[in-house]
Amino acid sequence: MKDKSIRWGLPILLILIALPAVVQDTFFLRVITEAIMWIGLALAFDVLAGYTGYLNFGHGAFFGLGAYTTAILMMQAHWPFALALPMGGVLAGVGALVAGLPTLRLKGAYFAIATWALSRAVQQLALIMDITGGPDGMRLPSFLNPQFFYYLMLAIVAVTFALLWFLLECSPFGLKLKAIREDDQGAMALGLNPTKLKMQAFILSAVPTGILGGVYAYWITFIDPASTLGDLVSDQALVMVVFGGMGTLVGPVIGALLIFAFKTLFWAYLSDFQLLYLIILGAVIALSVVFIPNGLWGTLRGLRSHKKSEEKKDESLAAKLPQNEGE
Amino acid sequence: MAEPILQVNSVTKCFGGLTAVNNVSFEVQQGEIIGLLGPNGAGKTTLFNVISGFYAPTSGTIIFNGKDISGKPPYTLADRGIGRTFQVVKPFAGLTVLENIIIASFLRYPKRKEAERHAWKILENTGLADRADVSAASLTLAGRKRLEIGKALALEPTFLLLDEVVAGLNPTEADKTVELILELKKQGMTILIVEHIMRVIMNISDRLVVLNFGEKIAEGTAAEVARNPLVIEAYLGEAAA
Repeated sequence: MKDKSIRWGLPILLILIALPAVVQDTFFLRVITEAIMWIGLALAFDVLAGYTGYLNFGHGAFFGLGAYTTAILMMQAHWPFALALPMGGVLAGVGALVAGLPTLRLKGAYFAIATWALSRAVQQLALIMDITGGPDGMRLPSFLNPQFFYYLMLAIVAVTFALLWFLLECSPFGLKLKAIREDDQGAMALGLNPTKLKMQAFILSAVPTGILGGVYAYWITFIDPASTLGDLVSDQALVMVVFGGMGTLVGPVIGALLIFAFKTLFWAYLSDFQLLYLIILGAVIALSVVFIPNGLWGTLRGLRSHKKSEEKKDESLAAKLPQNEGE
Repeated sequence: MAEPILQVNSVTKCFGGLTAVNNVSFEVQQGEIIGLLGPNGAGKTTLFNVISGFYAPTSGTIIFNGKDISGKPPYTLADRGIGRTFQVVKPFAGLTVLENIIIASFLRYPKRKEAERHAWKILENTGLADRADVSAASLTLAGRKRLEIGKALALEPTFLLLDEVVAGLNPTEADKTVELILELKKQGMTILIVEHIMRVIMNISDRLVVLNFGEKIAEGTAAEVARNPLVIEAYLGEAAA
């Protein structure tokens, strides 16, 4: 398993590091940078949705929290970006702790509704407060260096992926979360503390999201409550994860790439029909829940392991046959 | 007599106006198998849930190894050495049988590799080794009940609560499970078991505690309890007593 991940991960990482040298077109580099950001957001969303079984419709609030924290520290407190960015992650983590205390007691649709409502509340706060600039949003000093943002985004998402890989696929933490997803009462009887584990997962999901929000703010140089605290971040991350495959790390990457590619093409050629995009997004999630409940990656993996077990069966049959003839 | 491993002291558990368990007391000695009997709705599972920490008792105390554990959460009790199974089995359906046991093994073996090694040992002992890589959802009922026992055993408990681990199995499967329970007893495990199948519970229990409508109506050896008019009344009606 580990060898395989290095065999796949290392070449991909090397290609991504070399990419800006080949891609001179800034528009294209920008698109890839945003694609990488969405991979990160989908991965972080999946920690809670796929591994722990909690659909967080307030995921976007962590993104906005990170974006606003970074922006406010840079503009009002005149912190350098390098210090303001980590604070975005810290504040998103603190936000998760505060939001998680009441909401993580809820289950299923109730958790989804509660987190959605909380994120609406945060958006309203950003709309009325002075420090956030209200509905006008905030402008950040522009730092026009696409390569810098590309590499920063890549580094953050790569570290997030590696960290999640280690925590969720290699260490006991991932299995413990899955136990809670499957049956929290049963998990409790086995010595697991669901409240604590859920909280850890919530924070683990929030911190990278907040950091990505901070990078986004400095990169785009303009944030407002609609773009960073709206529904779209949560909704899109959800579709990416469900479509790609929940409860895996490869699934969100595939889902994010496909959905984001579709979005970019749609925006480029059919920007007059923005409403249609949301309708299609809704249809994609409905159809994938019905027809590929395990997502693209989960379905692919299921087919492959099915094939393998068929082969195994054939082998064991073949091994038995000559013996039967002998008897 | 030595200090009992478990003392249930006048435990009462109410749900709103319904008293599910009413002033029940009994003791369990080290190495004993105690059978908990009673008609449907007598409060057996509720009492199990109180002892294993899923419900806090409304009044009364539960002393385990000399310490008051009433109201302590299940994961603390698992750490203290109480393992339990669920009547309505709770497999982690989306995970493999091996992963199910590994999760339980983390309590004593926090490292993944050691937990896996320990899990294989449990799989061998419970006869699930050949099913290790299948998903828990695809197990038969008998397999799921084995898995329940396996998960509880992976906690390396000193005290085991078994809630209807035989009911619903065919006679061959039932015999296998009884064998497993007796083997555990031989190793010195203390067990509290709820079971409806009289053939099983009468044979393996050292002593029985009988509940009816939440109250303890009898306690003693199988022979004593079977003669008790209150027990006969509870099971067969007043006329038979």
